[in-house]
Amino acid sequence: MNMTPTGFGLLSLLMLVPVLGALVIAFIPEQFPKAIKGAAMVFSAVTLLVSLVVLGGFQVGTYHMQMVEFVPWLNQLGIHYRVGIDGVSLWLVVLTTFLNLIAVWFSFYIDKRVKVYFVMTMVLLAAMLGVFLSLDLILFYTFFEASLIPMAVMIWIWGGEKRNYAAIKFFVYTFAASIFMLIGMIVMAKLNADVSGTWTFDLTAIQGNVASGQFWANPEAARMAPMLFWAFALAFMVKCPMFPFHTWLPDAHTEAPTAGSVILAGVMLKMGTYGFLRILLPLFPEQVQANVPVIMALGVIGIIYGAIVAAMQPDLKRLVAYSSVAHMGFVVIGIFSLTHDGMMGGSYQQLNHGISTGALFLLIGLLYERIHTRLFSDMGGLKAQMPIYSAIFLVIMLSSVGFPTLNGFVGEFLALFGSFQAAQAGFNGTGWYVPVVSGIGVILAAVYLLWMFQKVFYGELNPKLARLKDLKPWEIAMSGCLVVMAIWGGLFPNTFLGPMEKAVNATRQMAINPPGSRPTWTDTSLEIADNGDLVRVLPRAVNGDMHYQEPLAVVAPGNLHFDVPALTEPRVEQQHASALKTQGTEVAN
Amino acid sequence: MGSFQQIWWVLFFPVAGFLFQAFAGKSLIDGLTEKVGLQKARLACGFMAVAPIALAFLVGLSVTLELASLPAGSQVPPQTLFSWIHLQSLSVPFEFRVDALSMTMVLIITGIGSLIHLYAVGYMAEEKDFSRFFTYLNLFIAAMLILVLGNNLVLTFVGWEGVGLCSYLLIGFWFKDVANSKAANKAFIVNRIGDWGFTLGMFGVAVLIAANRDALGINDARWLSYDVILPRARDLLAYYPAWIPASIALMLFIGAAGKSAQFPLYIWLPDAMAGPTPVSALIHAATMVTSGVYLLNRMSEWFLASPFAMGVVALVGALTALLGATIAFGQTDIKKVLAYSTVSQLGYMFIGCGVGAFYAGMFHVLTHAFFKALLFLGSGAVIHAMAHNQDMRNYGNLRKYLPITFVTMAIGWLAIAGIPYLFSGFWSKEAILGPAVNAGHGALMLGPLSAGQVAGWVGFLVALLTATYMTRMMMLTFFNPEERWKLIPAAAGHAHDHAAHGHEHHHHGEDKHGFFMTDAEAAAVEVHEEHHHELDESHKPHEVSPLMWLPLVILAVFSFGWIGGAWLDKNEAFFKWLYPGAEMAAHGEAVSHMTLLILSTATSVGGVLLGLWLWGRKMPTWEGFDLAKWNPVQKAAGKQWGIDWFLTDGSIKTGGVLGSFLWAIDRWVIDGFVNIVGYLARWTGGLVRKSQTGYVRGYALMMQLGAALFVGYLIYTIVIGVGR
Repeated sequence: MNMTPTGFGLLSLLMLVPVLGALVIAFIPEQFPKAIKGAAMVFSAVTLLVSLVVLGGFQVGTYHMQMVEFVPWLNQLGIHYRVGIDGVSLWLVVLTTFLNLIAVWFSFYIDKRVKVYFVMTMVLLAAMLGVFLSLDLILFYTFFEASLIPMAVMIWIWGGEKRNYAAIKFFVYTFAASIFMLIGMIVMAKLNADVSGTWTFDLTAIQGNVASGQFWANPEAARMAPMLFWAFALAFMVKCPMFPFHTWLPDAHTEAPTAGSVILAGVMLKMGTYGFLRILLPLFPEQVQANVPVIMALGVIGIIYGAIVAAMQPDLKRLVAYSSVAHMGFVVIGIFSLTHDGMMGGSYQQLNHGISTGALFLLIGLLYERIHTRLFSDMGGLKAQMPIYSAIFLVIMLSSVGFPTLNGFVGEFLALFGSFQAAQAGFNGTGWYVPVVSGIGVILAAVYLLWMFQKVFYGELNPKLARLKDLKPWEIAMSGCLVVMAIWGGLFPNTFLGPMEKAVNATRQMAINPPGSRPTWTDTSLEIADNGDLVRVLPRAVNGDMHYQEPLAVVAPGNLHFDVPALTEPRVEQQHASALKTQGTEVAN
Repeated sequence: MGSFQQIWWVLFFPVAGFLFQAFAGKSLIDGLTEKVGLQKARLACGFMAVAPIALAFLVGLSVTLELASLPAGSQVPPQTLFSWIHLQSLSVPFEFRVDALSMTMVLIITGIGSLIHLYAVGYMAEEKDFSRFFTYLNLFIAAMLILVLGNNLVLTFVGWEGVGLCSYLLIGFWFKDVANSKAANKAFIVNRIGDWGFTLGMFGVAVLIAANRDALGINDARWLSYDVILPRARDLLAYYPAWIPASIALMLFIGAAGKSAQFPLYIWLPDAMAGPTPVSALIHAATMVTSGVYLLNRMSEWFLASPFAMGVVALVGALTALLGATIAFGQTDIKKVLAYSTVSQLGYMFIGCGVGAFYAGMFHVLTHAFFKALLFLGSGAVIHAMAHNQDMRNYGNLRKYLPITFVTMAIGWLAIAGIPYLFSGFWSKEAILGPAVNAGHGALMLGPLSAGQVAGWVGFLVALLTATYMTRMMMLTFFNPEERWKLIPAAAGHAHDHAAHGHEHHHHGEDKHGFFMTDAEAAAVEVHEEHHHELDESHKPHEVSPLMWLPLVILAVFSFGWIGGAWLDKNEAFFKWLYPGAEMAAHGEAVSHMTLLILSTATSVGGVLLGLWLWGRKMPTWEGFDLAKWNPVQKAAGKQWGIDWFLTDGSIKTGGVLGSFLWAIDRWVIDGFVNIVGYLARWTGGLVRKSQTGYVRGYALMMQLGAALFVGYLIYTIVIGVGR
């Protein structure tokens, strides 16, 4: 990517709006809680609007980074302000601003230390957006860690009974894991300087050297590769979270205030899987391929283990928290199948999990505000009492179950299909157990979610819920937004799959193609063709018109499918299959 | 062939009906109640539910007629509505397939569906949640239509799960009883086990087709569309080792077995009788449970490629048929008898498919849809007339009170028993058993007989049993001279239990957001539950309303033999309709046609006579209320031979133990390790600092130590590297 400074632009504005919001809120006196909440709503809505403007200006026909901004910062250290957006990050950005608005909307119910709460929310929003937009490793790391602080504070001040324990565990666990990533980043920059002569933390530049094969050809780098890989992978695996690094999650989720849980499950877990896509796959192609069996195994264990443990929980929130472990497992097996279908499914499932699990936490929060309990033993028979609430809950529950026509199905289906293809081809040592066992996870999802629904909504009405009124109109509107997204995502997944397809395909080819024929973000004459091939086109300007062009030459085939080796001669017809033969052919074509 | 676009109206009407019932049904009833009264308001709402299905039937009929008028061998291109999932590597459009198989199913679904909707308007007239019932029922029809009309496996799967959801919602319709919602969960979960197989089978198909895209000349990515995967499937599969087509077919069969209640996944169907009776008739007899047979017919090319899988299908079908028939003898609940009979008849359909006579399986779907819906609706009329008591031991002599129900149900009884020539069941059973006993020697042999032949002979035994247990049911219900409900003493008055209704108002602290009803609001919505009439000696059964008996009569007309014998021209016309261009299997290789006829007649008539003889041995010595007096075989049959206990209770208990174990591991081992690290660090920190510290310091120290070690290692390697 060119090194001409561009100045600040739309993406900076996207992050600036919440920061401004935080400042404005900080100047509103504490005794006007309504003004504070109003300001938070306005700034959240504006952020969502700006993200929609970004969406509107996004060019679908390319995998390259768009709206790139480059502002020199610390020249001696090679750290610069460099942001950009592509198909992998686009929808995560929109998901973040969308869920944030919902979370702020719900936070109408907050009445303790309102000002600090909303300042934290706004800071958190800016930090999360920063994670998804950064193209500089140190910038990424800064946002990655910065997002921890407001979340930990939210848990700590507005959390439940064990909030101290949960907040500290959350903070230290995830912080401790990512400190290794920081060290890894420094080493990566050093190794990059070895081969290119420039000291830089620019992700695109380092990836360019990885793609050409120079980077890991350095014996020094090759020797440290496994260690560096795991330094990065560990940070993301804790964040996801993947088994066995998941135990911070149930505590953090259960103790966090509702809005915190929505954001935590909806957005912050995706930072882990986003890290896989943005950093791990492009920078560590050989290591990724070599470690697929380990990561797949952990993903599959997470799916089954998370589901079984979820089924045992006596508390609604803990159940949904463990279900996240299971659901994120599908994202992981999709991504690490390194097939096009699987990676699309995994990427899409990130959004779906954000919508469905975010919505589940929101709905649980609505109930908790009313009855101040989340224990199944305090519930039952709510369906007759709150029909609208139960209908909304049902749709969201089904979205989480992976019911077709709702969003969860498409992602799970593609992720499983991808892992099936990888297993069939024995790609990177992926075994048959991956699709077969994670398919059982789909059955188990029905088990614990239907039990949950039964315990809350069916049976005789629990006397503790007597006289409970149905949702208020604004609550219906709020949760209705999520229901609409769940249905839209299930009926018209192309809305989301289309813009992300080329970038996801490029990410996959960065990981599986041989050195020299990998896509890079720096070479704008490379492009993903409509048939999935990596092709050479005329060079284009960064941030310029990236519309699809006729390919000049094919650099690497798309490898969208594996061959299934066939026999050379047809099998001899079974001699005695006379009864079978007479059935004849299906409708003559 | 643009006019086939009108197929979308078939889907549109039920969807519109569903949306109407969901969003406006309750307001319609509430709004009209003031003007015309509750009953008429519900009737209007019911009309809005029946009309869409009837309209869909009419459109379906017109499309079918148009299809039938096409020249032989022509095929309607897939009708695409929009691109649903579209990737570079996979394309799944929302597309419908208009062919004989799908249109036959459409006519069954919408035709019998509208009759059952009509019946349900009468049956559910007293139901408080009237519109919610029809919301689910209309949604079911829509999902079922997607299942049979979808032109790719994914769309079939959409309908597949959709009907499963509606089944779940309708089984648990009366959700206040937790037992119902447990039955609903069981149905959904067991179906999901089948769906697991369906999904993997579907993946197998897609991978094979995608890998051979060049050879097959496919230039779009529709790896799962029927017009792509069916025509050359057998040629393609012949190039692969036998285990590949076998495993794909068996995976798809697991899916079919879940939906169509085949052993061992049948266990959900008897429990599903917890739903209202129209649901049992529509979903759990006529339509949804036959979708497995539909799938086998649709994917017949893929099944035919694996004789081994076919043998398994036939054997599982036979086992299911036999199990269902034997268990039916031990049932006292009239709906349970019909449920097991459905399981048994579904087994027949799978025998047909398993021996290669796919059309015969479909033919039995058709005839069974009529007579089993008839029997279920009839049993619903009986239950309705008997104050919702379902125990046949309380019935007797009902032919006197319910003449129309009796006559129509008797026709259904003779149809399922397979009485020759006059009744439809005879034709479809014969169509299955003929090819079965003559089945060739496939890959799966059991001694001298092939799997298909074994299944065929088991089928004859089951035919005998079927006639017998259905006779038992009819005798107990209609013929028994004793009116046994008169033996139940009237309860000592139905004093209204006010204590149960006195809602104690729980104080939830200050209700500043207005979450709870005030006393005045609560009083306004307080409904006194109408007194539920129990069956006892004072009960007088009455014939049901025309709204309910009219569907019975229509279904009875279609249960006569003319549907098989005359109209469908002894199966051959039906075969040619479903599989144009194929040749029907010739009978009479090993077992002649005449022998078959004699055997069929003997088993059906013999079964009825056997049933009469058993009944003649008098109740209640072994049909009594005192189960201890039952003979042990019948007791065991009543308990499903322990299969359900073994599978359901077993898996719940095992799962519970495993879950508790894993949760303990999670808390005490995995998280315990994390906490120990924290404590250790704090303890070390305490030693060093000799001051009070918290977790933060502990973890931070830990972190610093780790980081220091790592940095040290890195520096070391870099230094070594530079030094080299």
